[in-house]
Amino acid sequence: MENLNPKPDAVDAAGTPTIPESALEHPADAGPDIIQTDAGARDGLAKCARCGATEIALNVATGMLRCSFCRFEWASDNAADAFDLNGDIGKLSGVIVGSGSTDILPSTDEVLTFKCSACGAEVVIDTNHGTQARCHWCRNKLSMNQQVPNGAVPDMVLPFKLTKEAAVASIAKFVGKRKFFAHPKFKQEFNPENVMGVYLPYMVVDINAHATFTGQGEHETRSYTVKQGDDDVRRYDADLYDIEREFDIHINDLTVESSSERLNQNTSQNSNNIINTIMPFDVENAVRYDSNYLAGFTSERRDSNLDDLQPITHVQAEDITRHRVRDTLKFYDRGVRWNRQQVDVVGQRWVSAYLPVWLYSYHQTKSGGRSFLHYVAVNARTGETMGSVPLNQGKLLLVSGLVQVIGTIAAIVITVVGF
Amino acid sequence: MLEFALVTAGQVFADSGSSDDGGNFGLVLLASGFVFYALIYFRYRNVDKRHKHESETEATMHNLREDDRKVKSLKGLSNSRMAGENGDEVRGVRRRFF
Repeated sequence: MENLNPKPDAVDAAGTPTIPESALEHPADAGPDIIQTDAGARDGLAKCARCGATEIALNVATGMLRCSFCRFEWASDNAADAFDLNGDIGKLSGVIVGSGSTDILPSTDEVLTFKCSACGAEVVIDTNHGTQARCHWCRNKLSMNQQVPNGAVPDMVLPFKLTKEAAVASIAKFVGKRKFFAHPKFKQEFNPENVMGVYLPYMVVDINAHATFTGQGEHETRSYTVKQGDDDVRRYDADLYDIEREFDIHINDLTVESSSERLNQNTSQNSNNIINTIMPFDVENAVRYDSNYLAGFTSERRDSNLDDLQPITHVQAEDITRHRVRDTLKFYDRGVRWNRQQVDVVGQRWVSAYLPVWLYSYHQTKSGGRSFLHYVAVNARTGETMGSVPLNQGKLLLVSGLVQVIGTIAAIVITVVGF
Repeated sequence: MLEFALVTAGQVFADSGSSDDGGNFGLVLLASGFVFYALIYFRYRNVDKRHKHESETEATMHNLREDDRKVKSLKGLSNSRMAGENGDEVRGVRRRFF
């Protein structure tokens, strides 16, 4: 299959299929070092090595690709091994990015046209929702595996592990526990069978940083009560310390959404926080990207660049550092107040990934024509489930009112009786 | 507005729940309708949920240098926690209520 679209800044894909150190490119300018992750990848007919068919899909039960004709199964290489992502984080220096994580060029098309190498027809792939399409003439399935700078082909993919049946059961159980106050229309229309398997785009980041924290901490030495009028009040004695911690921190697989839509987690406008909650994923088991893992699923294209994601990633790295240093502060049982928190990022490695989510969506039309999209999401690796269920506000307000009346009466009775 | 009230009610409930002062029980009873509403709202809508990146991300410390020097002893403090404590602060939360 020949890509009829120009591929700006595309790297020659005719390299070796494995990616050892030699894959690290050092551009002449001061930009990031690139790990070439699509070397050897080819667009077009991805054929079964045994029978030559192109009907290939993920077998969720085994996590391997399976030919639908001859049942031959195989798997892509583990991405961490293939791209040497398991190397010592302490040796990271500067910025290293996978070639599937480089900046998206606005001039790059989202809908790409390919020439089918089986029959010569032109086939269109809408990269917003997938990287495969079927040739209408010869019925072969065409895959896009080479990276073009539009964010559609990531460095790696984590295959679905949880079956649809398991996801449906998990969603049904989650919603089943939340039926009493659920909106009647939702209860009527709820059908977990409508769950969709979606590969969502993320950036997986390793960070090597040097941290210096200075501040004060307090350790309680005595707790006692004193008389203040008729009341007993509690008082505390404590020792105050100046404290300082200086260390290197190695952060492994910090994962952030790389779709601008998913990054907006304003709960008054959307329920994207639900999808955020089901993290983390076992990204260490991700494999080299192969479009066939997406067969039967949908995908969402990455639309955020490293520059967009670096600020939030570094703030989260600081959070992780602040959290980790608490292990050394158990003596300070009254807390710690940092006056200076400095986390200098020495090295960072960015790799883009498609991660698997079973997603049930429900579009609620609210009063005034406003609409709200509720999600129930299942992590298709760990099974962690979270969701947003639309409420029957009238029923909830009524019951809350009753609870308020009973609570007020109980409070009055307790006050009068003098418990 | 509704969500703001819920967040506030949720915090009141959390504060009263963590207190060992039995007097707060009466306060909870007086606000029982609001507390009930907040509990159900959070249980169904889960607007407070997020990925806890600070604790759920693997990280290791190396070459640690610790320096602790006692400054002074404090007597008769009325608060059980240190003033201005920020060791648990989390700044990188994407989730917003408004």
